[in-house]
This record gives sequence, C-alpha cells and structure tokens, in this order.
Amino acid sequence: MDKTARQKRIRNFSIIAHIDHGKSTLADRLLEATSTVSKREIKEQLLDSMDLERERGITIKAHAVRLNYTAPDGEVYTLNLIDTPGHVDFNYEVSRSLNACEGALLVVDATQGVEAQTLANAYLAIDANLEIVPVINKIDLPAADIERVRNEIEEIIGIPAADCPAISAKLGAGIDQVLERIVRDIPPPGGDEDAPLRCLIFDSYYDSYLGVVVYVRVMDGCVRPGDRIMMMSSRKTFEVVDVGIMEPFGLEKRDCLAAGDVGYITASIKNVGDTRVGDTITSADRPCAEPLPGFKKVNPMVFAGIYPADGARYEDLREALEKLRLNDASLVFEPESSVALGSGFRCGFLGLLHMEIIEERLEREFNLDLITTAPSVIYEVECKNRGRIKIDNPTDFPSADEIEKAYEPIVKAGIITPSEYVGGLMELCQERRGVFIDMKYLDPTRVELVYRLPLSEIVFDFFDALKSRSRGYASLDYEFDGYAESNLVKLDFLINGEQVDALTFIVHEDKVYSMARRIAEKLKENIPRQLFEVPIQAAVGRRIIARETVKALRKDVLAKCYGGDITRKKKLLEKQKEGKKRMRQLGSVQIEPEAFMAVFRLNDED
Amino acid sequence: MKKKLGIYIHIPFCRSRCPYCDFYSNAGCQKEEISRYAAAVAGQLRVWSRMCREHTVDTVYFGGGTPTLLSLRDFGLLFEALHGNYDIAPDAEVSCECNPATADAGYLRGLRTLGVNRLSIGAQSLDDGELLSLGRIHTVSDFFRTYHDARDAGFGNISADIMIGIPGQSTKSLLNTLKRLSDLEPEHVSAYCLKIEEGTPFGKTAGRPELPGEDEVAEMYLGTIEFLAGSGFYQYEISNFARPGYECRHNIKYWSCDEYLGFGASAHSCFGGERFACPASLERFCRGEYVDKASRIKLTDADLETEYVMLTMRRTTGLVAGEYARRFGSDPHKKYDARFREFMDLGLVIADDSGYRFTPRGMLVSNSVLSSVLDL
Repeated sequence: MDKTARQKRIRNFSIIAHIDHGKSTLADRLLEATSTVSKREIKEQLLDSMDLERERGITIKAHAVRLNYTAPDGEVYTLNLIDTPGHVDFNYEVSRSLNACEGALLVVDATQGVEAQTLANAYLAIDANLEIVPVINKIDLPAADIERVRNEIEEIIGIPAADCPAISAKLGAGIDQVLERIVRDIPPPGGDEDAPLRCLIFDSYYDSYLGVVVYVRVMDGCVRPGDRIMMMSSRKTFEVVDVGIMEPFGLEKRDCLAAGDVGYITASIKNVGDTRVGDTITSADRPCAEPLPGFKKVNPMVFAGIYPADGARYEDLREALEKLRLNDASLVFEPESSVALGSGFRCGFLGLLHMEIIEERLEREFNLDLITTAPSVIYEVECKNRGRIKIDNPTDFPSADEIEKAYEPIVKAGIITPSEYVGGLMELCQERRGVFIDMKYLDPTRVELVYRLPLSEIVFDFFDALKSRSRGYASLDYEFDGYAESNLVKLDFLINGEQVDALTFIVHEDKVYSMARRIAEKLKENIPRQLFEVPIQAAVGRRIIARETVKALRKDVLAKCYGGDITRKKKLLEKQKEGKKRMRQLGSVQIEPEAFMAVFRLNDED
Repeated sequence: MKKKLGIYIHIPFCRSRCPYCDFYSNAGCQKEEISRYAAAVAGQLRVWSRMCREHTVDTVYFGGGTPTLLSLRDFGLLFEALHGNYDIAPDAEVSCECNPATADAGYLRGLRTLGVNRLSIGAQSLDDGELLSLGRIHTVSDFFRTYHDARDAGFGNISADIMIGIPGQSTKSLLNTLKRLSDLEPEHVSAYCLKIEEGTPFGKTAGRPELPGEDEVAEMYLGTIEFLAGSGFYQYEISNFARPGYECRHNIKYWSCDEYLGFGASAHSCFGGERFACPASLERFCRGEYVDKASRIKLTDADLETEYVMLTMRRTTGLVAGEYARRFGSDPHKKYDARFREFMDLGLVIADDSGYRFTPRGMLVSNSVLSSVLDL
C-alpha cells in the first residue's frame, strides 16, 4: 500500500553502538542541530536522564524523542529517535526498540573499531530488517583510523561503508551529514491508517500523576483519547486518556497517533506489569487478528539475596524495591530470611549489570546500606522423587543422593579482542569451563572468539577477569543458549561447627576444592578474632574438604585507666558494645556484615 | 567519722611531648608561666576546700605532664594550700610522678622534706634503643641516677613505670628490663601496654611505628606477671604490682569508686555522686574556670553500679560479692552468673561464692568481656 504524505515525512531510527563509542553524545548533537533543544539547555547526555546513566556512560532505559528537521530542500521531517540500552542484559528491550524503527545509526569509534556490542547490536538490527547507516565517530582523536574502521565495518559486519559519515559528535562536526543520511537512506514507515490498531510497546514508566506512560510505535490504525484499547498478551482493556509525542522536556498531547508515528499513550494504567515491552496494543472494539511477532515475557537470569545491613531497615528496603518495580517490570523479588543475614529479599535480575544498577539505586536513592549475596543462576535438577525442579537459591539445592541429574544455564559468548590477548582469554574461557566453538580473525590484528560458557561462570567476575587479561581491550557479548547437564555439588560452610545458610554455593565438581579453599581463606581474613578459636570448615555433604582456623583473640587494647578519667574508659566499652550490635550472631560467633560481603565479592584475583 | 578523699593535682608541662602520650600537657613553657599555673592551682585548692569540710584527705597525687618541672617554691605553695585548707591525714600517701633527668638529688630531698613520701619514676624501659624509639628524652643511666638519688633523699616507697609493646621490644628485652628493675628492689611496679592514641604523632599514619604483634604482646604481658610474681611483686590491678603493703592507695580509689577531686587543667573528679573535669586548657583554667561543663555527669544508681563493676574488675580481687551487696543491696550472683558463664568456660574469669575475678589471660581481653557483660 502506498505511503501517505504524512508517513513520507517521518523517519523512525535508533542509535546503536558499543559502550563509550559516543551514542549519547551524538544524540545530544542531533537534538541541538535540529534546534529541538538549545545549546544552553543541553545537560551532558540529555537522553540519559538518570544520574547513574550519566555517570557510567550507559543507557539503562529506552528513551524516545521527536526531532523536527528542515532538510536543505526546505522539506520538514519528523525524526523519531529511539535510544536503546546497549547492554547485553537488556538485549530483549533493544530488540523491541529496534522493531519500532525502520533504520539505525551504527556508531563506531574511529580509534576502537568494531567491538563485541557493535556486532551484537548490528546483528539485532539486521534481524529486525533495519536499514543500517554506519557513522564513524571520534575522528578528532589523534589515534583515529577512519579507513581501518571503514574496512572493518564492511568486512566484519558486511554493510557498505565507503561513503559513511565520519564525524566528531563531541565537536559537533559532520552532524548535518548524519541528518541528511537519516532522511535519504532510512525508509519512511508504512502501515495502514484504516486497519485495526496495532501498536508495539517499546517502553513504559510509572508517573504518579498519569499512571503508566506507555511508549509505542503505531504499526497500523490510529489511536485517540477515549478509545478502548487492549493489551494482547493479557487481554486487559483500558480507556485511553491521552496520546501524544515525546519532546525533550516532557510529553506533548496530540489528537491522534496514526500508523508510522512514535508516541505515548496514557490510560489510567496502574502497573507497569500490564504494559510489557514487546506486547501489542490493539483496539478492544475492533481488535487485529494477530499480535506483532517477537513478544516474550523476559525472565530473570541472575538471582541474589539483598539484605539491609541494619536489620531494622527491612521495611524501608521493601518500600524501596516496590518503588523501583513501579518502573521496572523485569525486577522480581520475594521475602527471604537467613539466619546469618536476617530478613531480606531474594531478587531476580536480567543480568549482572541490571543487578548492580538496582543495588546502586537502592543505596543512592533510598539511602540504604545493603548486603548483597553472591549472584547465582537458576539451576534445574531432576530429582529422584520430586521430578524436575528449578532452583534460584543455592540453599534449596537438593543433597547429592536426591539428584538424578543437574542442569545449568549456558550462554554463547562472543569475545572480540586484539589478537595478542587471544591466548590468555582462551585460557580464561577454559578455566571457566568454556567449550570452544569458533575463532576468526576479523582483520590481521583482531580476533573474535566464540565459546559456550556456563552462565554461573559469567556472573562470577568474568567481565573483570576478561578486562584485566586484555588490558581492557576485549569486549564481550553473550546470549542464553539453553541448559546443559553438569556435575554440580552443593558447597556448605560451617563456622564454629554451625552451618551458615548464607554461605552455600553451587559449584562444579571440578572446582569445588579450589573454591572451598578460597572462600575459607577469605572468611578467615574477615572474621574478627573471638575470645575462642573459631574453626571454618567447607563441606560437601558430610565431607569436610577445606578448613581454616581463626585464632583466639589474645589481647584487647588495654588503655591506662589512670588519672581518674573513668568516663573515657566507659565510652570505649560502650563503643565496643555498639560495634557488637552491628554484628551478625552465628551461634556464639559474631561476624560483621562486611565479612560476608568480602566473600560474596570474591573475584579472580583472590 | 569523716569521709575520705583523694586529691589529684595535674601538672600539664613537659620538656618535650612523647609521641605516644595523649595526656594534656604543654611543652616548652617558661618558669614564670609554670609558677603562674601553680598559683592558680593553689587558688582552686582554696576555693574547693569549702566542699570538703567533712573530709579527711588520705591520698595526694601529683601527676602530669611532668610534675618535677615545678620549682620547689611552687611545690611549697601547693603544700601550703593543701595543709592550710584541708584536713590531711598524718599517714596520708603523697605521691609524685617524676621523669628521670628532670630532678637532681637536691630537688628530690626538697620534695621529700615538703612531704612527698612516694615517688613514681617513669622508667618506661631499661633499654636505650627502646627509650629512643619511644621518643623519651632520658637514658637508662639517667633513670639509675634518679632512682639512687631518690633513695638517698629518703624515699622509702618508690614505683617504676615500664611499658610493654614498645616498638622494637622483644620478650627477651622486656625480661631484661624487668630483671634489672627488680634488682633495684623498688616497692612498686606499673606495667602498661603501649596504646596508639588518635591525635598523637604515633597515631598518624606516617608516624605509626612498627609494633610487636598482638600475640607477642600478650605473651609479654603474661611473662611480666609471672616474672614479677617470682620477684616478690604481687599483681593487684591489671597494670599494677607491689610488694605487700605498698599498693598505691590513691589509684585504688579510682578502681573502688571512692571520692577524689582533681585540681589543675584536665584533672578529673568523682565527688558527691558526680563526675566532672577541669577544662583541658591552661588559659581557661587560669581564668578560674574549674569545671568543664561538658564533662559534668550526674551518676545514676545504674551508672554507679556499672562503673563499680567495670572498675573493680580491674583489681585482682575482682568483684567482691560482700562489698557489692553492701553498696547495692543485692547479690551480684543473681545478675552476673549467667553473664559471666561463657567467659568462665573459656578460662578468662573465675567465679565463686566470694565473687568474680579475671584470670591473667582474662585481664588481657577484659574490654571484650566487660563490654559484653555490663549494661552499657
């Protein structure tokens, strides 16, 4: 069907890039060049509105903004920029955002070239049938090598880059070229305005006045205030309150959103769980026949216990998690209690970055001091009498005699690295129980390695190890690749003869001895000396496989109680007593929360 | 019968500050300034004497700082103020701290004549290397000279302070110090563990010396108790050892919650159910500000009980059930049996019908035990 005149003046695109290649800076420049915002109004990286995003240089949530661009021929275009999170944890969200577009700017750093996430994101864009416009950024840097990067884009990704724009987003050079390319190369959206409504949800957030604000791309039909809409996955219906577009500093109401448009819908929706990313919104009165393809409910991949360091703040933690969940349907949590750590929550995350972000937001925005357990994955166990069960908490892992077969999640990981580090990284993958799949030279100096790796190995400090063994040059991307049978054992720790529930780990049989030793040593370093000797034992079932001892405390600081200053002496004892209150009591042993943290944060260097 | 009172007089002057010490003191002061201070203390003695009409002073203690930086004339003024305004018991214990090399034979004779009958000499160590690492200005031979001068001056009750855990100290060098000291046959020995205090040069990261390890210091402490016991000094408090009959009666007041008044800048008092201290400032003190308001605490019955247990447990006699019952009207076993139980099992505390006391190993960890046992 022919595109309407309105559609012909719309371009929907996103920007994809490896971390730090300049995605957000380019977005800022596009806003500025189209006078969507003035230079004065530009906070660095406008679209990354969370402090955390600006600080870390990452995009956590998808964002969208409308730009009005007057082309050199005088025609005015509406450019809808949908910014996507660039991290592997949010791959599904990225894929949905890309599906809302017809094209993507692929930003590549002129000094770094193609990296793992460049590739992963480019493949996502190709899968979504997008027109890819490569852009080489950071040409102002002395180490920029535009020709090499052009070749890489053509050779590695396989898209023409002979005349792609070479720009400096930082200096604002070449931005006009980029805008012209968006209009010239990215096709306008199609869709039948008269067909039944079909909108793709690519993001949503909770606003205390408006309820949930749903970001959509209208694929077919049109939607107006007062329409009755239906979420196709849940068949829940709502009445539209407002529709409109996203301006940089807020929402702007419109009468109607029609096929090809990007905009927002509000409909007195209370729960972001009702507006899942990837779901299709249709008309309740005249529903479409088929939902848009590709919707899935994302499930958490990584679990950890989160506890307040101060047990009295459990309720504060609950409220904080509930507030974060208002805007993050992928965060799941349920109460959990541990003898060692007190009351807290078992939380599920999309991945490690997601977990770190939640932790950091809880600490910063809600001023909480947290103890987060070591992250674990979801294991599946074929039990002799209970059938196949899923386990997201190591404590629930059955004992060896109950297990028929155990399975763990596997990922397919792509690593791109300068060739000199290949040996070290293959060693790392080997150590982490990786199975080699493929290795190819992207160019004479760079290599892509592909391994199948257990996810549990990735969540255990893999990224830092990768960076340290490649001096920061290697990049990583991975995707879930099913479950595989594995010889897993449950490793418990006993402190002074008592088992500590928070210190239970699921470990591959081959690694259990080294892991047991490392954790026991770490505990020894971090458990304060008590008035008696404290044995630390690592156990598999009833078998003790490692042992350390914390020697008894021999001596306090014995201040001179002299000159009659009794108050000072008393204060010293009060302080000591206060210190004890912070400690967790395990039988007769007192341990500071930090001791657990040191074990939970165990890394490759330990 | 009149109530008993101890008097502490603080002399906050030193030739130079030792890098580990955090008592209030001033280095490099002129004679005139010191005399002005002595006159101010004499003034305080006169003013506060009104509170003490019902008391007999049975101990006086000059501490510092370095009290022996006062001239004999200044000391004379203070004794005049004491005798002119207080009922001083004829057999009162009158102690004075003395740093080696700050007092010659004539000076010590003068002190003895004025009425000082107990001298506490800050030996710290009988190893010149260790004295140097402590930043002391005296040598071992200075200590011997001062000791002998004191004996010649007629002091029949001499104490020596030594330190355990000095940078560079070993069990061997400590035993050597103890041996040479006991050969002199003093009446009393105090042995303190060196503690790094915040705000002192040793307390700063850059100035922090290499100290013997925790376990080694513990061994040194236990070795000290053993050695001194074998040489006729019995331990009567965590850090104090005496030949029978020569315990420091003044210090025992601190550990028995008895009454004492502190005179001079930064001196602490426990009197009339309150604790208070003079401001730790020469200027404020000399202006006549005798009580630092921030230090003033009215002790509740609960405070009294807690402090009593905290302090009396420092003594080797420990918490004496009969004395406790007399003071607080209850049997301590009811309250403390369960609380001390785990520490008894660990061999740190001995409990019986007569009360509770620390074993030598228990004294080393007395803070940990008391902070768990007391209602703080």
